[in-house]
Order: sequence, then structure tokens, then C-alpha cells
Amino acid sequence: MTKSATLEVKDGKIRQAINGFLKDLFAKKVVKAMLVPLAHPAGTNVVQALISDPANLDNADVYAPVMPVNSAKILQAMTRLTPTDRKTAVVLRPCEMRAVVELIKLKQVQPDNLIFIGIDCPGAYSVKNYPKFVSEKKTSDDFVKAGFMWADDAMLRAGCQICEYPYPLTADISIGMLGLEPGKVILQADTAQGEAALKTLGFSIDTDSDIAKKRQAALTKLAADVKERRKKFFAKTKEEIGGIEKLTKVFASCIKCQNCRQACPVCYCRECVFISPTFELESDKYLRQAEKKGGIRMPADTLLFHLTRMNHMGNSCVGCGACEEACPNDIPLLKLFQLIGSEAQELFGYVPGRNVEEPLPASAFREKEFEWIGEK
Amino acid sequence: MQEKNGAVLVIGAGVGGIRSSLDLAESGYKVYLTDRSPGIGGTLIQLETWFPDNQCELCKLLPVFSRDECSQVCLRRDLMHPNIELIPNSRVSKLSGKEGDFKATLNIKSRWVIEERCTACDLCAQVCPVEISDEFNRGLQKRKAIYVRNPQAIPNVYIIDQEHCTKCGKCVEICPTKAVVLNKPDETKELSVGAVILSAGATELPANQMGQYGYGYYANVITNIQLERLLADAGPTHGELLRPSDNKPPRKIAILQCVGSRDMDRNYCSEVCCMYALKESMMLRERYPDAQVTIFYMDIRAFGKDYYRYHLQAKEKGVNFARSRVSRIRENPKTKNLFLLARDEAGKSISAEYDMAVLSVAQCPSPNLTELSKVMNISTNKWGFIDTPGFYITHTSRPGVFVSGSASGPSDISETVIKSSAAACEAASILAKSQKQAAEKKTVHKHQTGKEEDVKIAVYICQCGKEISSIVNIEKTKEFAKKLPNVTSVEDVGFLCLPETLDNVKQAVAKSGANRVIFAACAPYRYQRLFSDALAEAGIDASQWQLVNFQEQLAWVHKDNPTLATRKAQNLLAMAAERLRTQGPLEVPTAEMTHNCLVVGGGISGMTSALSLADQGLDVTLVEKAGELGGHSRNLYYDLIPDNPQALVKGIIDKVKSNPKIKVLLNSELSGISGHIGHFKSQIKSGDKVEQIQHGAVIIATGASDYQPTEYSYGKDARVITQHELQKRLAEGKLGKPATVVMIQCVGSRNNTHPYCNRTCCSEAITNARKIKELSPETQIFILNRDIMAYGFKEQYYTQAREAGVLFHRYEPESEPKVTAGEKALTVEWPDPALPGSLEIDADLLVLSTGYIANEGNATIAKMLAIPLTEDGFFKEIDTKFRPVDVILDGVFITGLANAPRSLAEKIIEAQAAAQRAANVLSREQLTSGRIISEVDKRRCSCCGLCVEACPFDARSLNEEEHYAVVEETLCQGCGMCVSVCPNDAAKLRGQKEKQVFSMVEIGLSA
Repeated sequence: MTKSATLEVKDGKIRQAINGFLKDLFAKKVVKAMLVPLAHPAGTNVVQALISDPANLDNADVYAPVMPVNSAKILQAMTRLTPTDRKTAVVLRPCEMRAVVELIKLKQVQPDNLIFIGIDCPGAYSVKNYPKFVSEKKTSDDFVKAGFMWADDAMLRAGCQICEYPYPLTADISIGMLGLEPGKVILQADTAQGEAALKTLGFSIDTDSDIAKKRQAALTKLAADVKERRKKFFAKTKEEIGGIEKLTKVFASCIKCQNCRQACPVCYCRECVFISPTFELESDKYLRQAEKKGGIRMPADTLLFHLTRMNHMGNSCVGCGACEEACPNDIPLLKLFQLIGSEAQELFGYVPGRNVEEPLPASAFREKEFEWIGEK
Repeated sequence: MQEKNGAVLVIGAGVGGIRSSLDLAESGYKVYLTDRSPGIGGTLIQLETWFPDNQCELCKLLPVFSRDECSQVCLRRDLMHPNIELIPNSRVSKLSGKEGDFKATLNIKSRWVIEERCTACDLCAQVCPVEISDEFNRGLQKRKAIYVRNPQAIPNVYIIDQEHCTKCGKCVEICPTKAVVLNKPDETKELSVGAVILSAGATELPANQMGQYGYGYYANVITNIQLERLLADAGPTHGELLRPSDNKPPRKIAILQCVGSRDMDRNYCSEVCCMYALKESMMLRERYPDAQVTIFYMDIRAFGKDYYRYHLQAKEKGVNFARSRVSRIRENPKTKNLFLLARDEAGKSISAEYDMAVLSVAQCPSPNLTELSKVMNISTNKWGFIDTPGFYITHTSRPGVFVSGSASGPSDISETVIKSSAAACEAASILAKSQKQAAEKKTVHKHQTGKEEDVKIAVYICQCGKEISSIVNIEKTKEFAKKLPNVTSVEDVGFLCLPETLDNVKQAVAKSGANRVIFAACAPYRYQRLFSDALAEAGIDASQWQLVNFQEQLAWVHKDNPTLATRKAQNLLAMAAERLRTQGPLEVPTAEMTHNCLVVGGGISGMTSALSLADQGLDVTLVEKAGELGGHSRNLYYDLIPDNPQALVKGIIDKVKSNPKIKVLLNSELSGISGHIGHFKSQIKSGDKVEQIQHGAVIIATGASDYQPTEYSYGKDARVITQHELQKRLAEGKLGKPATVVMIQCVGSRNNTHPYCNRTCCSEAITNARKIKELSPETQIFILNRDIMAYGFKEQYYTQAREAGVLFHRYEPESEPKVTAGEKALTVEWPDPALPGSLEIDADLLVLSTGYIANEGNATIAKMLAIPLTEDGFFKEIDTKFRPVDVILDGVFITGLANAPRSLAEKIIEAQAAAQRAANVLSREQLTSGRIISEVDKRRCSCCGLCVEACPFDARSLNEEEHYAVVEETLCQGCGMCVSVCPNDAAKLRGQKEKQVFSMVEIGLSA
């Protein structure tokens, strides 16, 4: 059952309509603060900003095809120690929302007083490619009206091209456009909190409206398309990087800067084990390793670093691609993490970010699982 | 008052004896654990797997607290507790004195092998010329006259079979440690003990007594123990089922139940064999999916907790069930195949050919038991089992002597374990007032060497005669070890385990100033304690020495490659040295203890637990929901045990009320509980009042609810009543003289809604039927049943009921009886599988055997404590067999109907068992945990809670204020789950820290 309202879009100005809706949340005192993407004055980027003055929303641009950081990381920084004490809206892309859900499970985000507003996501370009988009005088309105082109826009980030859930799974309010005529927007209330907010704003809520059903139908169709697309992508990726030899090549350009870890929204440790005393070794240890093998790559444990991260985060990888974006040497980390992560997730029947109640595979105990292991 | 002794003699070291001993030892009492055989384990050691998981899990008997005191490896290989003195090969020849002050004389038969010199190298057996049938494998293979009973026996020491030894002296000659001494005289030992627990077990009926089955003549007729040995990995065929006649795998196997039991000679049920047969048949089906397995049975008596599901599981796995008693077996002399002759339930002849037949032979009292009962002057029943008068089925005719396990009647593991804890409880109650005679504590002065450069490691390499030195190049290894950092001395010795060698080593270590020691020797499960004690005397703490296994891990596995073995020896030594270099002293953490117990539920179970604890000097708060004590048992008027339940219950209520140690809170409920073992805080709600109490443990005895039948117009037709209601009418003399009474068993149980057996209803039906016959002999009684669960000695009453004219008819669950209410009578109609067509009986009274369902309130308590319930809503024990009253949360115990349906006598022993398990911890001054426990690096902890979820022992929680995880040290069992889920090494295991392990691995790889 869907509950939704139609957002009136005048003259096809979607951005303006959405910003109006966001402003209204302040005006009707639903929220006192908001984390929302604002166009940077430089014009070459759109960045997340935490605002308390709704006037800032003139610059909001939630559909601009760029995502410099995954906002889950920002929410972790904001709420890990204490939850917010005033209602705060958070406008998120679906992959950011999924990462937030993972961090809630890991007690890194405290969701109290947060209202999650999700968007149907047309994808994003790399920060370094966004200026190109801007320079072509394109706007976010043009971008979404052109339709959702994940598969056909080669400039989109790799993660966006194979995104399995480019729509919010757990938001309070979803700003929906998928499957709708260009210029049509619905606001779907997926929780009681979302519904109450829409009502306060004066929206009349329809149950299972035609337009909402139309969007649902599009989502169902999308699922089948994405499945096919991912299958092909994974087959190709395996071809490209499967096997230890190719994998070694992939990491040949790694400088162990650990940017990927820094950017990953679900890599949540306060202090990574790789910068901890566990890996602070005496010279003798390095030399002994070198003696054993005749020589070792330095900095040491480059591959171990990636494998460890894969081991720790594979099950929670939401496929946002922040790792790959952060890599100075274009290592296809998203490909790798999605390839391995999705297989691991499938083994546990786990979808990261699907549901706050769904336990992390590492913390769930099932009496019967993997019974095929060890069978003769 | 006479002074009592703080020691107990436990006779029989099977699972029962072990349970009693560990319980008493954990409570601080001295235990002499004796066995007639050369080792421990009893019947159990011959079996490898059992219900419910078809795994071993014997180790679940081991203590959870102060676990460094007791061995913590496989219980098939090691049982060492400072309070337990194991005396194998011994018989009690005299018992004088009385409760609280017994003198026991033990005759200890000489092994002709000196225990502390035997290294179990097997050289003696290899030269021994005498070959005889090996009784451990029930004749399926041969053994020598000098032998060890089973692989890894406890103690793992050879023994000479004096009856068959020819005294040729070859073993004496070859023994490298001079351990064999022919004609070494027997010894006698006098013991002063306060109580005696007899758990001498039972034995199987010699199968050749049942001549009709050809055992002993037909090669392919074997007993169930033989089948167990054939299926055992350590058995004569290494787990492969081969039939004795041709060593080919049998494909058609018959299992015959009740061989020698439930007959004229032994009119009792052997109780364990149905579950044995179910397990064996399922194992056969799993291992040999094309094998056909048929169980020939009269009733499948799967009456215990979750046993019925096991029965269903066997059916699902394709085991065939034939309700029939096989009358004889004949062999085809050519093929050695077997013909089974029997009649099925409907009377039709069955004649089928099988490759193999397995006899589930009766459990009988052993000749040893007869001898013991005479020596100890305790009475036996007509079959020779120890007599247990009344409802206290661990009591014997002699006060202060208790019985457990199969010595008082066939018992499965679960029942034996319960009885044994109950017997320990009885013994402890006697001893409680005396000074506990705990093992003396050895003082260890610890070397607080923080800096790595202060570490001085002494290495001792054992040659084990030639066992190690013939494979590992000792000289080369020594040279290598000398160069390792911080190693100050390296010596090799012939046999490190010999008393004189160990003595020298001890002195040398003390003199040398070494503060760490490596022993490169063998089997940690055998020598860990011996070495640890010796080194403690030399001032080396248990965390500051390492045992490197040069025997099993080197000499044995690399027999063919001495070069590799020597290299590996060096790697292992280097790793051990690295561990010791980086290992600071590990303290044993302790926590304070609140020495009282909360018992929830004031029925017979709760009251019995409370009394047992009070008898041991512990304070108890007993909380009862109702306005009076007694629970369900107040409605019991008769029992199969010929004693008066009403008098029993009343007696117990009076005792509870007058006991100053027990505080009874009526009309009260547990409304909240927090904390952990040693420190629970509970809220008890009485009306509007809420009382806070602190306690160290909690026993849940909240009972169950009577099933309210919806079947057969119960509640609508006054002529339909339950067994409980019938019993009340009988007691009140209100039954009258009905012409016909029909009873229907399994109403609302063993079905899809309640897929479990209620265990007690068959007994109740038989009890009530006999009572009706007594009061009104002309009343016709029909008992409609699916299987009659007259297990153990209840069988005799089943027989007596039949002899009194009670008619037992079967019905199949698929065609349950139909009842039509007429004006004059209730017409009961059903197809009896033994008869053609349907039977129709007009009954004046229809009695439904309805059993129990779990209390709805269980879920609330389970949620408060975060403990699991079974699928049927009862509390879930850790392990049905080995820890039947423990739950996953330490310090919480379950008993009575809250755990599973049980009879009155069974409830009493279970309640005592729960009390004893609680007393084990409550009687301690402090709680101590192990050395290897987890800890938290606060700075690094992200407070994500993964470790909390992963911890199976609830030892971790989050400090949400300051954002890090905390460890409750006494609950931590050092399993390392937290370490494996923690992504950044904020969860650490003492003695296994990541950096330490990494550097060991590195050294191991680069050495």
C-alpha cells in the first residue's frame, strides 16, 4: 500500500518545486535544520550542507548529478556520540540512505529526530566530470527530464550504471519520479513520520494513487532490467580482474593512501587497524619478511589492506562507489567490491540498507546455514 | 554433633559418576572417583555420538567457572580436577559407619604397570604374544594381554590382563621406562567419607541368552553396542559398517527392539534402546543412503524432551518401522543372510531376508552391582537393580548412600545426568555443615617481567625414548633453539614425564633464573597439569610456559620425513619462544558473589530446589504466583510409585514454610531481572508492591499449564473428563461404578500443534485404570493409545493393568477415534490396526489424557533474561543430555514442567539437580574465570555492538555513555568470537593478541 501526494511542478521547474517543498518543512516547523546538497558558489560542485536558515534552500540542488561524499559519513560524524536534539531533515540519495541504515545497525548513526527524505536517483558524475556537465549549460532539471539513463550515459559513475536500487528503500518521504512523465513528481510517505510531515505541509494523501502505482510498476520492471545488467557487468568484471594474477595487476597502481577507506561510508572504525599499533612493526619484522621472500612490496601489506577491507565491509557494501572516486589511481574498487560483496550478500540472503531490523550477517545466528560446507 | 567429613566416595566413573564428581568438586568437596575398570567413561566411552545432534559433546560436562583448574579438553582424553582423585581398577570391599561418617575400604587391583612411568608407547603390546578377544569392541577385534582399554583412555596407561598373561617377560624387557612390573601387588586404601554415591551403571544382557536370535552362532547377528563400535571412527573398522561374515557393507539391516526386556524374565523396559535404535538407524541412512533399515518394535518409547521430533526425523529419513516382535532368526548357511520370522500387528506372518540383524539387548544389573549391594548392605529390587524406596529415586535403603544412573534402573544420559546432580546435591546437603576439604592451593610467585629483554627462556626437549628422537634431529633442533632470542638454555631429556626427570628439571629451572619455560614433549591433555604443577613449584606461572607437541604433531605425523619433522620442530619452537617473549603474566580475574538464590515458582520443583539450597546453607527467596504453595502436584493423588503424593507434597510445603533460610513470597511475580551470575537484581511484584532483591543465581520453576482440550466435546458433554479430573473423582470417591470407561491417549499432543510426548499421561492412565479396577473390578476399561510410554520399571504396572483386565487398543494418528454422544452412552469408534474393520464401544465415561502445554508467561521471562525457548514454548536447556537444567545464560537454571513434562519423582531429582548446579556457583567465595579472556581497547572501540551480538555467553555489553564495549570477565569463556567480528582489533583475547599471533605466524613461516 502506498501513501503519496503529488508535488505541483510549475512550468517544468522541478528543482524549484522541490526546493519549495523543502522550504515548507521549515515554514511549517516540521524541521529546524536540514542536511541538503547546495550548489557551491564556484558553480563547479554541489556539496552537502547542514543548514538552519531556509534561505539557503534557494541554492539547493538535490538532483544535480554529483555526489562528492557519501552523506552517511557526515551523519556518522554528526550523531555518533549524541543524537540530534532537534528535528533535522536529511536529503539523501538511495545509496547514501542504504549506507545510513548500515551505520544505524552498527550504532554509528543515531537516527532519533532525523527525517529522511530520499530521491529517485538518476545517477551522478565524478566530481571531476561535473564541471563538464555544468559547462555544457545543463541543469539538474534537464538531467532528470532526459529520463533515467543509468545504462546509457557512459560518463556516469560505474556504480550508478549498475545500481540495483536507485530509489529509496527506507526513507520517511521519497521524492519519486521513476516511471513518471518528465516533470511529474510525487511525494511518497513511507513511514508514519513521513505521512505526518506531508499532512502538516497541507498535502492531501492518496492511497495507492494511479501515479504511485505507475511508479511502482516502473520499479518492478527496473528490478528485472538491473538484474540482467548486473549479470553482464559481473561476467565482464570477472573476465577483467578474476584470478590472482589479474587481481595483482589491478592493485599494481595502489599507493596505499587509504583514501578508499576514508571515503567508504560503511568503513566505520574510529581507528583503522591498518594505522593502529597492530601494524606498527619493528624494522626487524620487515627485514625478516624480506629475507623470507627475497623481497617484499613496500609499503607492506598493500594487498592485505584491500582484502581485509573486503572481508570487513563486503557484506555491507552499498555500491555507492565512493572508494573508486577517492582513488587517485583509478583502481576499479567499486567493481571489485560489488562483484565480491554481492556474492557474499547473496549467500546470507542479505541486502545492505534494506531494513534497519535486518541483522548484519556477522551478528545474526542461524542454527541452519551453509550446511553444504563440509559435506562429503 | 559429630563432625562430618568433607569428602564423597563416588563409585563408578561413567557419565553419572563424572557428573556427580564434578558437581561436588566444583562446590569444593573432595571426591574419590572409583571405577572397577581401568578407565573412566563407562558405557559412554564406547559410543561416539548421540541425540540430538548425533555428535559427541561430552565436554559439555566440564565446568564453566574456575575452568583453568579443570582440564578443558576432550573429556574422552582428560579429566583432571584438583578436588577429584581418580582411582581406577578398584572395588569397594567394605563400607562401615553411617551417614556423615563412613569408612570405605578400597581394593585397588594392580595394573602390573607403574602408572606414572607408562608413556603409552605401545611397545609392550607389540611384543606381547598373547591375543584375546577385545571386550571394549565386544569381540569385534583382538587385543593383547598387555593393553590399553581404548584409544586415549583416562588414564592413558597400559594394564596387564592377569588372567591371560603368560608372564613371558617380553614387555618387561622392552619397556623403555621400566614401567612394567609383573606381580606388582594389589593395594588397599581406607577412605573417610561423609556420603557415598553409587553410579556403577548397568550392563547389557548377554545376547546369547536369547537363543532364538542365533547370536554367537550367526555371524551377522550383532548387538547394538557392536553396531556402535562398527560405526565409531575409533572402532575396529574406523567407522565403516562391514558385516562380520564377509566384510561387505550390509544393505538390508534389521534392528530388533526389546531383546531380553519387556518379557517374563525382565518385565521392565530398557528405556534407552528406542533412542539408540533411532540414532543408529538415522546414522545408517545418512552414511549409506541406499541401505534399508527396519526397526522391529512394540512401542517407540521416545518420551523425553524433543525425542518425539527425533522419532519423526527418523521417519523422514526413510527408516522403516515394523510394529512387531521378531520371534526367531534363521541363517542361510551359504550367504549368511538372515531370515526374520515375525507377525505384524494384524497377525500376518512376516518372513524377510536381511543382511544383518542388530539386537537392542536389555540393560541388566552387572554382577559387580550385586556384589556392591551386598558389601554396602543396600537392598535391590527383584531384578537386582538398587532399590529406591518412594519418590526420592536417588535414595537407597541405607542413609547417606545414594544411587544414580542405571544402577537403579535403565536410564538414558539425560536422566543419568539429572540423577547424578541430584545425588551430588543430597551428598552435599549432608556435608554442607562440615568444613569443606578443598584442594590445597599452590602458591605461585609470578615473575612480573614487563620488558622483553628480561625474558629468559629455558627449553627442554623430550626424546620420549626413541619415539621423538628417532624422527626429529634433536641435536640440530637444540642448536637452532639456542640461537633464538631470549633463550638462555636448551636441554634434552629421555622422558620428561618420569617423576625423577621432572624433579631434576624443576630444580634446574628454579636454579637457573629462567622465567619462561618451553617443554617440547607430547600430549597436552595428558601432561598439561603434571607439567603445570611441577613448573608452578619452580615459580613459573601457567601463562609463562608452553607445551610444544613434538609427539603427535611431529614424530607421529611426519614419520616418513625426518627432515621436514626437524624443520617443523624448529618452527614450532620459534613460535613458542616468540609467544613467551611477548607474553606478560595473565592474571585470573575474579568477581564478587551474592550467595543467595531466587527460585521462581512454588510447585514441587521450586520447593524442592529451595529446600536443597537451604540444606546447603544458602539463602533462598521463593516466589509463587498463587496464594499457596504446591502447584500442580496438589492435584496428584496417586502415582505409579506406590507412595502417597499428597503426603509428600504436604510434607514439603511444611518444610519450606518452617525453614528459616527460605523466604516465601506468595501472590508474587517476577516483574524484572537484570545482571548476571553472581549479581542478579530482580523486581518481585506482590500486588502493588515491588520488592528489589539481589541474588547470585535464579532457578526457574514456573511450571506449565494443563492442556485444555477442544477435542471430543470436552467441556460440552459432562461425560468427557481429563485424567486429572478422573483422579480427583477417584480420590474423593465420586466416580461410582461406571460400566465402561474409555481413555484416549495423546489428546492434544504428538500432533502438529504440539509435536511432543507428554511423558506422564500413559503412567497416569495406567495409575487411574488400576485404581478404578481396584474400586470397581467389574468396570470395563479401554485405553486407546498410539505407543504406551511405560518406560523403565513402569512396564510392570502396564503388565499388571493388563492382567487386571484393562484393555489396551491402538489407534493410528491418521484415524483418531470418533466419539458420538448418545443419550445413554458415548459411542467411541476407531479402527484398531490389530483387528479388521472398526471397533465400537459405548462408554459411560470418556477420559482424555491431555498433558501439558508451555506457560504463556515463559516468553516474558525468556525476554527479560534473553534466553531462548523451545519451539514448543518450554525453556531451552543448553544440551538435553549433558546440561539438561542449564540455560545459555550462566546462573540461570530451569526445572520442572517449565523445562519439560515429568513425573513427580522425576521432578524431585531434576529440582535437586538444578539446586546443585546453582549451589556449584553460589557456594564459591568468588567467581573466577579463565586466564584467556577477552578485553577491549577503549580508544579503538567504535561501540558498534557486533561483539555484543556475537558473544555466545552474554559477556559483552556496551557502555553507551562513553561509547565502548565492556567485558564481564567471569562470563567470558575466551572463545574469541568477539575478536573475529571486531574489524579493527579493539576486541582482544588475552594471551592471543593479534600482534603476538601475527609475529608468531611470521616467525613460524620464516624460521
